[in-house]
Amino acid sequence: MKVNPFAFGALVLVLFLGTVLVAQTADFWAVSGKVTSSGEKIAATGTNPDEIKGWMTLDEVSRAYGISREELTGQFSLPKDLDFTKQIKDLESDSFSPEKLRAWLKQRLTR
Amino acid sequence: MEVWFPMVNQSRMRGSVEPLKLGSVRRQRPGVRRVLTIGGLRRTVQLGFAGFIIYIAVLQAAERGSSTAVSPEAFCPFGGLEGAYRFITSGGQTIPHTHLSNLVLAAAFLVTAFLARSAFCGWICPLGFLQELTSGISRLLQRRVPAARSIVAAVSSRGKPLAALDRPLRLLKYAVLLWSLVGAAYFGVMVFRDFDPWAALITIAAPSLGIGTVVLTVTLVASLFVDRPWCRYACPLGAVGGLVARMGPIYLKRESEHCKGCAVCSRRCPMGLDVHSATTIKSPDCIGCLECLESCPREGALDLRLGLPGMGR
Repeated sequence: MKVNPFAFGALVLVLFLGTVLVAQTADFWAVSGKVTSSGEKIAATGTNPDEIKGWMTLDEVSRAYGISREELTGQFSLPKDLDFTKQIKDLESDSFSPEKLRAWLKQRLTR
Repeated sequence: MEVWFPMVNQSRMRGSVEPLKLGSVRRQRPGVRRVLTIGGLRRTVQLGFAGFIIYIAVLQAAERGSSTAVSPEAFCPFGGLEGAYRFITSGGQTIPHTHLSNLVLAAAFLVTAFLARSAFCGWICPLGFLQELTSGISRLLQRRVPAARSIVAAVSSRGKPLAALDRPLRLLKYAVLLWSLVGAAYFGVMVFRDFDPWAALITIAAPSLGIGTVVLTVTLVASLFVDRPWCRYACPLGAVGGLVARMGPIYLKRESEHCKGCAVCSRRCPMGLDVHSATTIKSPDCIGCLECLESCPREGALDLRLGLPGMGR
C-alpha cells in the first residue's frame, strides 16, 4: 500500500510527540533532578550518597552529612578559601568530582 | 452559436487535471502547492525542534544556578538509552545528567524508528539539521563564490581515495553504540558524553574546550564537504534507529519499469545511499527524509510503501 509523504511526516510527529504526551499524562516525566514532579526542591538527606547531584553545593552536602569544611577540603585537596556555595560540578578537578565525593561518603557511612 | 472545446484540450489548458502516466516526467506543481513541499514541511519541523532546544539552552544559560533551570540534555533520547539498564536494574535510578524525560524520549525514538523508519534523524534531530544547514551553506557558497567552489573541488578531489573507506567507516557507529551502552551499564555514567558533539553544543551554559567540542568542530567542517558525516559514521543513536527501522513496516520502493536510472535520488540522499540501483531501500542508514522521493523526476518511480513488519516486504 502506498503512503502519502505528507501523511508520513504527520505520522512522525504524532508518534514522537504522542509518546511524550502519554508519558506526561501517566506522570512519568521529569526534566530536572532539582525538583520533584510536584515542584518541591530536592535536598540531600544525609543518608544516601547516590542522591548527591552535581548541582548541589558543597555547603549543602557538608550540612546534610555532618562533615566539617576542613575535613572536606583536606580529603579532596581543595583550596582552604574555597567558596562552599558553588555547585559541586563547578569544583571538579583531578582530585575532586561528584563521583569521588559519593564514593568517599559511602565509605565514610559504612565506617 | 455554441462554442465547443474538446475535453482533452480543456484539461491541457488547466495544466493539472490530466493524470500523469507512470514513468512520465513530473510537471511542476501549480500555485501554492509549489511551496507546500515535503522538503519544506521537513525543514519546518526540524527548525521547530532546533528552536525549542536553543530556547532551553539560552534559558539555562540565563538561569544558571537556579533550582528551576532545565538542561537541554534532559531532551536527549540517547541519554535515555544509556541510562535504561541502570534504571531497570536499580529500581528507578537515573544516571547523572539524565532524567525520566530522557527515558521517555528514548521510548518515543524507538517507537518512531520502528513505525516510521529512522525519521527522528531526518525530521527531528537538531544535530542532523545543523549538519544539513552547514552543507547547505557550503553549496550556496559554491554556487556564488568561485573560490569556494575551487576549494571544495580540490578537497573533494584529494579525498577521493577515502571513498573506499566509506563502507567500513559506517560500521564505526555500531562500535560507538556498543561502547556507550556497555560503558554506561558498567560504570553508571555516560562514558560517551565527553566525546558527544551534541552534549558539547547544548552545554553552552558551561562551555569547555573538551574532546566533544573538537568532535563537533570536525563534524561541522566535514559537513562542508560531505552530507551528514556524524550521522553516517559515528552517531550511536542513528545506529539503534537504523537497526530498529529494518524491522518496521514502512519502506521505500523503486519501480524499475518507471525509473530511468538518472540517479538524481542517489545524489540528493544525505546519507549517500545508492537509491537508484536498489529495489527496496532497506538500508539501516536511511533516515526517512524523503529527499530521494521529492527529487525523483519520474511519476511512480519511487514510492513510500506500507508492508508487513520484518517480512521482507
